[in-house]
Amino acid sequence: MGSFILEQIVNGVITGSMYALVAAGMTMIFGVLRAINFAHGEYYMLGTFGAWLVISKLDAPYAVSIVAGVAIAALIAALIGRLVMQRLVGAPFQAGVLATIGVSLILQNAVILAFGGGYKVFEGGWIEPVQIGSFGMAQQRIVLVVTALAVFAGLEWMVRKTRMGKAIRAVSQNIECCHVNGIDVESVVRRTFLLGTALAALSGVLTAPVNVSVYGGMGESITLKTFAVIVMGGMGNVRGTLIAGILLGVVEALVSGLIGLQYRDSVGFVALLLMLMFRPHGLFTQKARF
Amino acid sequence: MSTRTIVRRALLAACGAAALTAMTALPATAQEVYKIGLVSPLSGANARYGAFANKGANLAAKEINAAGGVQGRKLEFVSGDSQCVPAEGVSATKRMISFDKLPIIIGDICSSVTLAMQPLAEEAGVLLVNAASSNPMITYKAGVGGFKWTFRNYPTDEGRAAIVLEHAVKNRGLKTFAVLSVDSDYGRGAINFTKKYLPRYPDAKILSEDYYKDSETDFRPVLSKIRNSGAQAILMYGQADTTPIVARQMLEMGLAGKVVLVGNGEFNTAKTIAAAPSVLNGSIEAAAWLPEWTSARSQKFVDDYKKAYGGEMPNNHAYTHWETTHLVAAAIKAAASLKPEDVRNALAKIKYDSAMGPVTFDDHHQAVLPMVLLEVADGKPVIRSAIAVKVDYPK
Repeated sequence: MGSFILEQIVNGVITGSMYALVAAGMTMIFGVLRAINFAHGEYYMLGTFGAWLVISKLDAPYAVSIVAGVAIAALIAALIGRLVMQRLVGAPFQAGVLATIGVSLILQNAVILAFGGGYKVFEGGWIEPVQIGSFGMAQQRIVLVVTALAVFAGLEWMVRKTRMGKAIRAVSQNIECCHVNGIDVESVVRRTFLLGTALAALSGVLTAPVNVSVYGGMGESITLKTFAVIVMGGMGNVRGTLIAGILLGVVEALVSGLIGLQYRDSVGFVALLLMLMFRPHGLFTQKARF
Repeated sequence: MSTRTIVRRALLAACGAAALTAMTALPATAQEVYKIGLVSPLSGANARYGAFANKGANLAAKEINAAGGVQGRKLEFVSGDSQCVPAEGVSATKRMISFDKLPIIIGDICSSVTLAMQPLAEEAGVLLVNAASSNPMITYKAGVGGFKWTFRNYPTDEGRAAIVLEHAVKNRGLKTFAVLSVDSDYGRGAINFTKKYLPRYPDAKILSEDYYKDSETDFRPVLSKIRNSGAQAILMYGQADTTPIVARQMLEMGLAGKVVLVGNGEFNTAKTIAAAPSVLNGSIEAAAWLPEWTSARSQKFVDDYKKAYGGEMPNNHAYTHWETTHLVAAAIKAAASLKPEDVRNALAKIKYDSAMGPVTFDDHHQAVLPMVLLEVADGKPVIRSAIAVKVDYPK
């Protein structure tokens, strides 16, 4: 039993790292825009599709496809950042909801139109199993966890030490003061958006080899889980997101291993409900940030 | 009513009027034709299946007519579009009953449509022969169950579950099962039927039960549990698109060769096998028919179908509609009558040699017919045998 629980915790940490990577971008975008990006899962999908495209059409190796997938998603995100997201600065929250849901529909259906609605099998990736103690896992999963930790270390450093990070913090605290101090809010929003969506795309490409199937609607369920993670982590709190993501992953793994797989998706929603009722500002802060 | 429906209805009315003129213009040949109905989805997401059904049925009609027709008359199909939507299937059936006055209707592919068609056929005294719906309710409610005019020449989800279980336990010696099926009427229903037949095999038991949502991608927690439980097989009635995900994750957890997949979910297609060949080796699946089935009659059908339709490979629905058309013709021949009552009585007693083996109908008008059992061996699907089981109806 002890080793079974340990194994489920490991399974949960792996899935949780993926949630955290996606949610980190969403929470940063919320920080600067005060808008929930309902299309966030779509960038996860675009990254995966980009990688699938270069592997299946150009026979590219997986390592190249990681770069290509993230680059393709970032290119599309740059366009949407300029056309849609930067206009949301100072707009009422309804505008953000409608705009991002619209973007989500357009992206999903554009992909279905271009590549068909059927599921595609993602070839490639480091899927050879490695044996750790009594249980095996694909090398890919280790890559995913290590990458997630590295990314969060990098984000922490960026937010605290770099000019870009300071600008992001400034914008998320007070937009009027930023205008007064000559910080280009729209440019900060654009760059944050690009970074956040690139992280979602990276998460997509890294999980594709073990999740195997690629299809237009794959981002939707990711977006829903991400809500729970960013609320638990505290909206806009990057470090909290990592812990909340892993926490959700571990609880999900324990529930599906001990109770039943059919209850897995309820974990996130129950967590979301409890958080909104008792700690709407997140697990890690006493005071609401916004 | 949307504009599109209005336009479509108007077009239909125009076509109907044109057909009427055509019919009155040619009274001589119309006399010698025996028309029967075929309801299937011809538009919408399942249109592909409807097209296969029509091609199969029309090929059979051509063959029957070449051999002298039915009671000296030419067999001809009137085709109706159900869109796989009950309301649409009902209106197509009503048109056939009151406008075309058809004595026999074959249809539909989608179970929900067939269930809606049953009362209409019953009320009108029109023989409804289903060739492709798998929901067990259709024949629970037929024969001694109520609807005297409904027959089904297709295996049910219940029959499939029973056949798969029998093969897994008796022929393969598997005893311990873990359930991992899709969380839908289909997935849960198949498991309930499996449990219903489980007491027939005293050694066999189910150790755990899990159902996945259709967007699920992470199966590691439940696979850990299954490995720890020591189950020899996973009972999976699932989505074709999820099978490669589960197979790939079984591979990375070292379950290949230790736990086999049993049930239904395209375990046998090249695309699935390619995802994790060592996991899928030994997996068991049942099918109503497949082009590789080796009987001479089946092979001849595949050749004739390909010749008739530009080399296209027939699917399951093409076969079942082809065979069911021949079955109806055989019942007419046995009855030596075109009256629906006589054909119905002949059908209830018929012993028909299909490409899959002998077909008879039980007192619920459900065909007792064999299904093909497929296993994967060395990365390729292999046909093991075909077996039939009798369904236990609730008392």
